[in-house]
Amino acid sequence: MKESPWPRIGWRNLGRNRKRTVLTALGLGVGYFACVFVVGWSEGIMAELVENATSLVTGQIEIHDAEYRPDRSLYDTIGGREGADVAALLNAIDADEAVVAAAPRVYAGGLVSSGEATSAGMFLGVDPEREVALTRFLDSLVAGALPVAGRYELVIGEEMGRQLSVGVGDELVLVGSGADGSMANDLYTVAGIYRTGLVEFDASTVVMPIGDLQELVVLGPDRIHEIAVATAQPDLAADAARRLSGVLEAPARPIVVASWAELNPVLAEYVALAESFYWIIIVIVFTVAAFGIANTMLMATFERRREFAVMLALGSTPRAVMGIVVSEALAIGAVSLAGSAAVTFPLMVWLYNAPPSLEWLYGNVTLQGALLTPTLRVGYNVPAWTWASVGLLVTALLSALYPAARAARIPPADTLSGL
Amino acid sequence: MHARVLVVLAMRNLRRQLRRTLLTASAMIIGGGLLIFSLSFGDGSHEQWIDSGVRLGTGHVTVERPEFRLRRRIDDRLPAEVRRTVEQAFASPEIAPFVVATSSKLSINGLASSAAGARPAQIMAVDPVQESAFGMLDEQVAEGRYLEPDDRLAAYVGAEMVESLELRLGSRFVVQAQDADGEIAGQLLRVVGTFRSGVPEVDLSMIHIPLATAGEWLGSEEDVTNVGVLLNGSAATARVADRLERVLADPVARGEARVMRWRDADPALAAAVAIDDFGNYLVQAFLFIIIAFGIVNTVLMSVMHRHREFGVLQALGLTPGQTGTVVLIEGFTLTVISGFLGVGIGMLCTWYFLGDGLDLTAMMENLDEMTFSGVAVDPVIVPLFTARRIVQVLVFILVVGAMASIYPALRASRIDVTEAMKFDR
Repeated sequence: MKESPWPRIGWRNLGRNRKRTVLTALGLGVGYFACVFVVGWSEGIMAELVENATSLVTGQIEIHDAEYRPDRSLYDTIGGREGADVAALLNAIDADEAVVAAAPRVYAGGLVSSGEATSAGMFLGVDPEREVALTRFLDSLVAGALPVAGRYELVIGEEMGRQLSVGVGDELVLVGSGADGSMANDLYTVAGIYRTGLVEFDASTVVMPIGDLQELVVLGPDRIHEIAVATAQPDLAADAARRLSGVLEAPARPIVVASWAELNPVLAEYVALAESFYWIIIVIVFTVAAFGIANTMLMATFERRREFAVMLALGSTPRAVMGIVVSEALAIGAVSLAGSAAVTFPLMVWLYNAPPSLEWLYGNVTLQGALLTPTLRVGYNVPAWTWASVGLLVTALLSALYPAARAARIPPADTLSGL
Repeated sequence: MHARVLVVLAMRNLRRQLRRTLLTASAMIIGGGLLIFSLSFGDGSHEQWIDSGVRLGTGHVTVERPEFRLRRRIDDRLPAEVRRTVEQAFASPEIAPFVVATSSKLSINGLASSAAGARPAQIMAVDPVQESAFGMLDEQVAEGRYLEPDDRLAAYVGAEMVESLELRLGSRFVVQAQDADGEIAGQLLRVVGTFRSGVPEVDLSMIHIPLATAGEWLGSEEDVTNVGVLLNGSAATARVADRLERVLADPVARGEARVMRWRDADPALAAAVAIDDFGNYLVQAFLFIIIAFGIVNTVLMSVMHRHREFGVLQALGLTPGQTGTVVLIEGFTLTVISGFLGVGIGMLCTWYFLGDGLDLTAMMENLDEMTFSGVAVDPVIVPLFTARRIVQVLVFILVVGAMASIYPALRASRIDVTEAMKFDR
């Protein structure tokens, strides 16, 4: 069977009125760009939120004693009072395929005093080497170096340094209460200063080697509150957590392994909700675009009344006339898709790899406790982008239907006679 | 040629091509409607965020020592004379009409400890009566009650802090902080009530105590660190802050006081509003670019279509400028009428939600506990109209309409008269 000629005629017609074609295609193309860009930007925000919620100061997975959350009591260490074999636990965790890093942590609350000023603090005991592999906040210090175990060194947040007017090399007194009920205090040197951007955290958290903190609050070396675990990707966390909870056990008390989505369900849900907003944006943008296209198509058919009348007079069926108008619209859609994709995707790749700063516009924001920095970073969301492409073609097609039907109903005799 | 004739020509053409006019108009109507709808809801929710943010904090405008924000020390108390001046200013006829409530409080960091452990605490020493009008925490009681004027040694504590210190209603705990002499002082308090604000960080760290108790504990007597004011809308912030700065010119110059607007006091909140606005503006800008293309296209095609008509008009004596003006008026009128109509429809749709607000609870499901830059996001959004915003939208629509008509108008003015009239169709 011979190939239908209408698509080719439709395609050729695009060149007959280039300006109209370009303007219509631009309308669709801007719509497409808007969808891809807004979806990409939103995706970038979600990715950064999840990243910061899971790798800035916490891991994608946290392992605690079953009693630890939400009270976070000093006594509810993994394995209870007997403690647990931390090295064995870490080995078991490191053995999981999805895990890239794991680090033990001890928490305690107390006062931090620089002599003239005192502030309340959270003491966080970490294994500096393991912690650097796990989280980002200690990777690049604002000043100084990481603390060395046994030398009574610690790092503090920039905000705390400001509030207490201390810098690297200054001394701080930590006061807390020990697990044995004693008053715990000691003198430490500030070895470094970090900055997360989370003001509350930077103002209150004192980081020190885990052994030093255990000594301060009188906990044995095998008593820790948490093992934070990093997986290669945030979305691997749920499965890895399930696997780990099957493997890990403490002698005396149950252990709970929770992924970030369980620890911060509201954020996880917000990220999931963003997906449904993409749909709304695509629909709104293309609805508005459809009016513009329909209008142009309608006027174009009106202008070419004579042309269609000649075709009908020469024996084309009304269906064929419809075919021409529809294939013209599809051709415009295709041109516009190709053109806008050629502009959009290089831009997306650029924004993905080198996101520009938006600091002039706004500062740091936190959403559900997760930090969001002012950068125009985009994320890839191929399904939503595919739907935007489909949306563009469907819009082109739908807005051509009515004009096509009009064109097919042109009365040839009257039109040609000049009425 | 009279301008009136040009207008008549333009109007007549819009009327003749009714279908085309309506189709182009509908895109603009939808766009204008969406614009006013989403901006009103955006402004409304921002106002809600700001309101709950400043109620938790120190008000739309607060006066404090310049060092206070940096270090939050007990030393950074306001001189009594400054406090008096500020409180007088709040009662002055220039500021009083905007004031909903004022609050003078002593805000410091301390450590709360019980047998179960210790936690950093943000201690706010308040006048119970004043604060219950100012903040919202007194309405967010989880158990027990808010502070009362006769309370001594009483504390109103965040529910999560109560849990983490394993306290109960009525149980005692100790707070420690630096006192006015620079020594660490402890104070025994009793939990009289607990609250849930919806912001986990607040529920985990905030303690309200009576100002008198703090005075005895810290040796700070009646002194406060902040005098804040809650206004009847964030729009009045600049005016009130400017007025306070004038009144306090001397202490400010001496470095004893500083007037803080909520944007400076809570930059994260300001950023949250900015990012939300930015996203909204971006989507709207894209929509209007698309609409503008539609308008350019329609008006341009109508110009092509009426090649002959314009030829005749010019042959009859219209200058190229006047021909262009007819097209300009046409495009402009189309956008203005449809834009205004859209804004009107958008306002009507928004109006419907003015009383009870738009309840997004169903859509947000478990998200009703979400926080954005330390502010609980209310799933019920009450839209907000401001004259400034509506004028902004109308001007924007006019600009888009005018810009979209420029090119077609230029084309119409450049018609070659003889060519246009040469061939009959």
